[in-house]
Amino acid sequence: MLSNLLIPAVLFFALGFFAKLIKSDLRFPPDLAKALSIYLLVAIGLHGGYELGKADLLTAMNSVMWALFLGFGMPLIGYAILVFSKKVDPMNAAAIAAHYGSVSAGTFLTAVAYLDSLQIEYDSYPVIMLAVMESPAIVVGLLLAAWSRRRLAQKQGAPQAEAGNGDEHDRNKLTHILREAFTNGSVVLLLGSMVIGAVAAPQSMAKIKPFIEDIFMGVLCLFLLEMGMEAARRIGEFRRVGAVLIVFGVAMPVLGGMIGTLIGHEMLGFGVGGTLLVAVLAASASYIAVPPAMRLAVPEASPSLYLTLSLGVTFPFNVVFGIPLYHMMVVMMVGA
Amino acid sequence: MHRLYPEKLITVITSDVLEGRLVQVVKQRGASGYTIFRAQGAGSSGEQSGMLDIDTNIVFHVVVPLAKVSAMLDALEDLARKGHHLRVLVSDVNVLWPEKFE
Repeated sequence: MLSNLLIPAVLFFALGFFAKLIKSDLRFPPDLAKALSIYLLVAIGLHGGYELGKADLLTAMNSVMWALFLGFGMPLIGYAILVFSKKVDPMNAAAIAAHYGSVSAGTFLTAVAYLDSLQIEYDSYPVIMLAVMESPAIVVGLLLAAWSRRRLAQKQGAPQAEAGNGDEHDRNKLTHILREAFTNGSVVLLLGSMVIGAVAAPQSMAKIKPFIEDIFMGVLCLFLLEMGMEAARRIGEFRRVGAVLIVFGVAMPVLGGMIGTLIGHEMLGFGVGGTLLVAVLAASASYIAVPPAMRLAVPEASPSLYLTLSLGVTFPFNVVFGIPLYHMMVVMMVGA
Repeated sequence: MHRLYPEKLITVITSDVLEGRLVQVVKQRGASGYTIFRAQGAGSSGEQSGMLDIDTNIVFHVVVPLAKVSAMLDALEDLARKGHHLRVLVSDVNVLWPEKFE
C-alpha cells in the first residue's frame, strides 16, 4: 500500500486534493488539463501501438473481444445494482452505469506508473482494450436510458400518436449519438496514435522517445495534480449523493476489479502486470468521455450524481486504494 | 449620428455540450449568425470550473428581428422541457446594419 502512495503521480494527486481542501488559490490555466490529457492519450497510444506492432494478432483480437465484453457487460451489472438499490430513478441509474462500463485513462496510467515503480513488466494489449472500452458503455447507457424513458412514458400513459413520433425522433437522436460515441475525440486520438505507433519506422520512433517516454511521468504528475483538485471539488456534493451511492462508488470498482482479474488471467493468460491493467480497466469509471455524452443524451439524469461518483469517489479510491488492492488480488490468483 | 435599428439579443448560458444543438436551433429558425464565448461560473448545477469538458459553460449570443424571437424561444423551451439546464435572457439592442440580422 505504501509503495503506491509514494509514487510521485499519486502524491501530486494528493497535493491537488489537499490544495482544494485548504481552499488554496492554486489554479491551472484554462484548458491546460485538456491539453495534458491530449498529450497523455497520444503518448500512451504511440507507445502501445509500437509494442502492439510486434505483438501477436490473435491475442490482440482476443483482447478486443474481452474489452467489448467488459464495455457492454459492466454497465448492465451497474444498472441492475442501482435499480435494485431503489436509491435512484432508472434514468440516473442508466447514466451512472454507463460511467462504470467505460474507462478512466488517468487511473490506467496511474496503474502503469505503479507497475513501473515496482519494476513489474506488463503486456501491451491492455492499451488497445483502453481504446476499445471508451465507447461501448455509452451505447449501453443510451439504450438503457431510451428503454427506461419509454417505460416511464407508458406508465404515465403517453398518447399513441406522440409516442410514434417520439420513436422516430429517438432513433434519429440515437444514430447521431452513436456516431458521436465512436468518433469521440479520445477514441480517435488513442486509436490514431496506436496506428501511427504500429506502422511508423522504428528508427523514427526512437527520435520521439523523449516526447513519449522521458517526460511522460512528469506530465502525468501535472495531470493528476489537476484531477486531485477536481476530485476534491466534488466532496461538497457527497451529502446530496447519499451514503448508499457512495458505497456503490467503492463496491462497483472492487467488483469490476475481480471480474477484470478473472478475464485478464483466465481468459487472456496475462502475467501479473497485464492482469492488473485489465482489472483496473474493469474497475475504473470514466469522467472525460461519458459525462458529456450523458449530459447531452440523458438530460433527465443529474450530472452531480454521476460526476460525484466517478470523479469524486471511484477515481480517488482507485488511485489510492484500488490499484494496490487489485494487485493483491492478481498476485493471489496468478502467483507472485 | 448614425441611424440605429432595434433588434432583440437572445443570450443563452448553458453547458458547452449543448453548443451543437443551439447552433441547429438558430440555423433552423433563420438567424444569420451567432457568437459563442466559453465561460465559467456557478448556478443550480454547481460550480462550472471550465477545466473539464463537462464543467465548461458557454454564453451563446444571437441577434434576431422581433418576428423570429418567438420561434426561437419555443425551441429553447423544448430543450429545457427535455431536462437540459439553460438560462435564457432576451434584451433590446440597437444595431447599425439590420440586414445583417435578417
